[in-house]
Amino acid sequence: MTQTAKAAKKTSSAKAAVTAEAKAAPAVKKPTSKKKQAQAFPFTAIVGQEEMKLSLILNIIDPRIGGVLVMGHRGTGKSTTVRALAEVLPFIDRVKGDIYNRTVEQYLEMESGAKGAAAIKPEDVKLEQIPVPVVDLPLGATEDRVCGTIDIEKALTSGVKAFEPGLLAQSNRGFLYIDEVNLLDDHLVDVLLDVAASGKNVVEREGISIRHPARFVLVGSGNPEEGELRPQLLDRFGLHARIITINDVAKRVQIVKLRREYDEDPDAFLKKSTREQQKLQKKIEAAKAFLTEVSMDDSVLTDIARLCMNLGIDGHRGELTITRTAYAYAALQGDKKVTMDHVRKIAGLCLRHRLRKDPLETVDAGEKIERELAKVLGEAEAAA
Amino acid sequence: MIAFTDIIGMDLAKQALMLLAVDPSLGGVVIPSAVGSGKSTLARAFAGILPEGTPFVELPLNVTEDRLIGGVDLEATLAAGQRVVQHGVLSRAHKGVLYVDSLSLLDSSAVSHVMDAMSRRAVIVEREGLSEVHPADFMLVGTYDPSDGEVRMGLLDRIGIIVPFTSQNDYRARKQIVSVVMGTRDLEDTEDELRMLRGLINAAKEQLPKVSMTSEQIKGLIQTAISLGVEGNRVDIFAIRAAIANAALNQRTEVEDEDLKLAMKLVLVPRATRMPEREATDEEMQSQDEPPPPDEQEPEDEDAPAETPDADAEEEQEETPDMIEELMMDAIETELPDNILNISLASKKKAKSGSRGEALNNKRGRFVRAQQGEMKSGKVALIPTLISAAPWQATRKAEKAKKGIKTGALVINKEDVKIKRFRDKSGTLFIFMVDASGSMALNRMRQAKGAVSSLLQNAYVHRDQVALISFRGKQAQVLLPPSQSVDRAKRELDVLPTGGGTPLASALFTGWETAKQARTKGITQIMFVLITDGRGNIPLQAAYEPNAEKAPKEQLEKEIEALALSIQADGIASIVVDTQMNYLSRGEAPKLAQQLGGRYFYLPNAKAEQIVEAALS
Repeated sequence: MTQTAKAAKKTSSAKAAVTAEAKAAPAVKKPTSKKKQAQAFPFTAIVGQEEMKLSLILNIIDPRIGGVLVMGHRGTGKSTTVRALAEVLPFIDRVKGDIYNRTVEQYLEMESGAKGAAAIKPEDVKLEQIPVPVVDLPLGATEDRVCGTIDIEKALTSGVKAFEPGLLAQSNRGFLYIDEVNLLDDHLVDVLLDVAASGKNVVEREGISIRHPARFVLVGSGNPEEGELRPQLLDRFGLHARIITINDVAKRVQIVKLRREYDEDPDAFLKKSTREQQKLQKKIEAAKAFLTEVSMDDSVLTDIARLCMNLGIDGHRGELTITRTAYAYAALQGDKKVTMDHVRKIAGLCLRHRLRKDPLETVDAGEKIERELAKVLGEAEAAA
Repeated sequence: MIAFTDIIGMDLAKQALMLLAVDPSLGGVVIPSAVGSGKSTLARAFAGILPEGTPFVELPLNVTEDRLIGGVDLEATLAAGQRVVQHGVLSRAHKGVLYVDSLSLLDSSAVSHVMDAMSRRAVIVEREGLSEVHPADFMLVGTYDPSDGEVRMGLLDRIGIIVPFTSQNDYRARKQIVSVVMGTRDLEDTEDELRMLRGLINAAKEQLPKVSMTSEQIKGLIQTAISLGVEGNRVDIFAIRAAIANAALNQRTEVEDEDLKLAMKLVLVPRATRMPEREATDEEMQSQDEPPPPDEQEPEDEDAPAETPDADAEEEQEETPDMIEELMMDAIETELPDNILNISLASKKKAKSGSRGEALNNKRGRFVRAQQGEMKSGKVALIPTLISAAPWQATRKAEKAKKGIKTGALVINKEDVKIKRFRDKSGTLFIFMVDASGSMALNRMRQAKGAVSSLLQNAYVHRDQVALISFRGKQAQVLLPPSQSVDRAKRELDVLPTGGGTPLASALFTGWETAKQARTKGITQIMFVLITDGRGNIPLQAAYEPNAEKAPKEQLEKEIEALALSIQADGIASIVVDTQMNYLSRGEAPKLAQQLGGRYFYLPNAKAEQIVEAALS
């Protein structure tokens, strides 16, 4: 039952492996992304669960929103939806073959200053287009695979030390997805919090010192009944989407119908949904481009601040998230100005998880936010 | 080995396994059953009706993460001079059966990995420098004894079929039948029968794509799922697949009522969170133990069967069609055990002997994986340490030699050191037992809820869990099983009935049971928080003997004393919060505290915060 490591068959990149003394820019292996499983169920064929879908799309439009936590009932398509995301993501430019998915600037910053390395001219750097990466972080992942470690293969066969990047490297400028995020081991949560805060991953091991950019959109999903999330991690997520069992018979019949069609002939099904998928992809790309043209009046900003204050939300991440998300939502709608109508649509997503939880509270968090929002809007109107 | 066909009884479980053999995309079969009912024999015999060469892998309860997921094979790696990968249990079950005995005792991290593999149909190995995907598309067959605790709902959600729990009161007789049969039967007969069964399954597999189902039938199943309050939408697909598989097994091309009924029985009813109300009462007297009648009912629908459900013709049909409702009621009636208390009853019998729980209690958490760390900070995991040092021996020796340092056989650096990581639920489980009888019950309940809430708010910090048991009427009831979830607590504590007798003994017993279950899952520190006046007036057996409500005072006291002493002997800490308003009648709660070896607090107007303080002090 053993199998020689696939890695052994993979050809390493042409770059020479570094010797033990060299500290900067050690050779890296090719990305191991070509281990794709069967193509996922198409995003556009997922029925209902609009809150989750919207949250994901807004995060593509502006990755600074800070990711999304999807919590809710079992068997409602949480992971199906996230895994379907890959197919509707836009493309990004990266330095050709770069495992860290770096931009030219990031590449130059990291490589040019390296001790002993010759200065690299921007025009020498070749670029390529790749789809925004989606990296799956399984619960059983060990820390060295998440952060990266020494390439044991190479060490064993040729006695040289080379850095083998981990999942954090692969997810730079992309999405990092953790299913059952509320069950993730504490020490991995620590690593994630650290990297998410700094945007950098630092590895010091066996004489190799690596620091590489690791900015990713964190997407987590889980069932709240299986356990709670650590407050620090909860706070890291920009948005919090809720997902519940669909109890509409017609919708459920539709879900079943699509699913059976897909199971019967996945290829034909995917082909059929290609157009919808492309349409959505284009829409997202357009919104992303349009984002720079969107603006917000100070009065809206004031209302947002007031809302957060009235809800007793600590820190400023709440305001920041609402603002960014409202921008992205306006861009998606093709509106140039962010209004409180946009804010109203997304306030629940941004604030739900920032309210203090209390088992004795009978009012739903969403309702509470809605109520405060109405108050703020009323006040604003009265003042005008 | 006993063959599938030799097992007598458990017809529904057998039928479930046959359906799974016909359509493995049902995900699996879970069989809850009492000890000695032959469930594990049956599960193992299942291998015999599958095509030859189908993997059948048993998942041991004490499996470590690298055995489960896979990882580097040290011996082979060192011998080959290159990394050799060992596949884990999950991927070894690919295209076959993964069998778990005592599914409810499986460690929660292992459950998570099984769930993850089932959702991806693959195992993603991101460990120790290894990054691979191993296919793991398996059927999960799990058996468990409900008295050991429940299986995690998230896992059940990925398993298509749950065989309804029935008390196997005549299992001894069955065992005898099996042995008699085994003695007298010709092995060739058995082999013939098995061959026939395999043929039947093969034919059904071929039939599968030919079976059609009307959109009315699909709607009916979905509506049933909704009226039973089943969580999630995945279950619809499972119910449809089960109905189709049964039709295929009967070599039909159309799904009929009996298929729908079976699908409800095996897929939907076991997941019900509420029971729909019955209107018609004629068929109340349905037989209980009979397997589904293999009768040849005439299909009633005149509609031409459509190939796929027609969702566009969706006039909101809010009411369940009569026929469907009737089927659903049938499915429920025949499958609910005649006495719903059977499960808790089974657990009570078990607890008296309960040897397994004891054995596991001695562990301080379970070794799960090795992790980098300081030698001082824990137990060193020798083999993982050696693995991580092994690749560097050549380079390190060369380096040292260059510097003129002599080296021993092995050069191990600080950074190689791996320490053992245990799944240590080092937090405390607080089991609240709240007297919900009498006039002050509402008040006590409110205090308890507040305290539960407050403890949970800080639960992350201490890794604490909270359970809540209320007692009133004939017996205690677990309102909130051990949980860290504020959401869940909120939901479970929403409605609380009050009034009636005070079954204190039952509360102690239920708490003790909960504590024992928690210990098998690695929680070692347990504290009882009793909010009561200490005066029980309902004996233990009232829970399952309707006429045993009255008992002499001495018996009641004896029961409570015996229980309290056992609980104390088990190393469970307790506090008793006395809420009695009347000074003069005090005396019973302090006595209870003394018997439990716990502390006593007199807080007639206790605030939630005071209770928390008392519990944490």
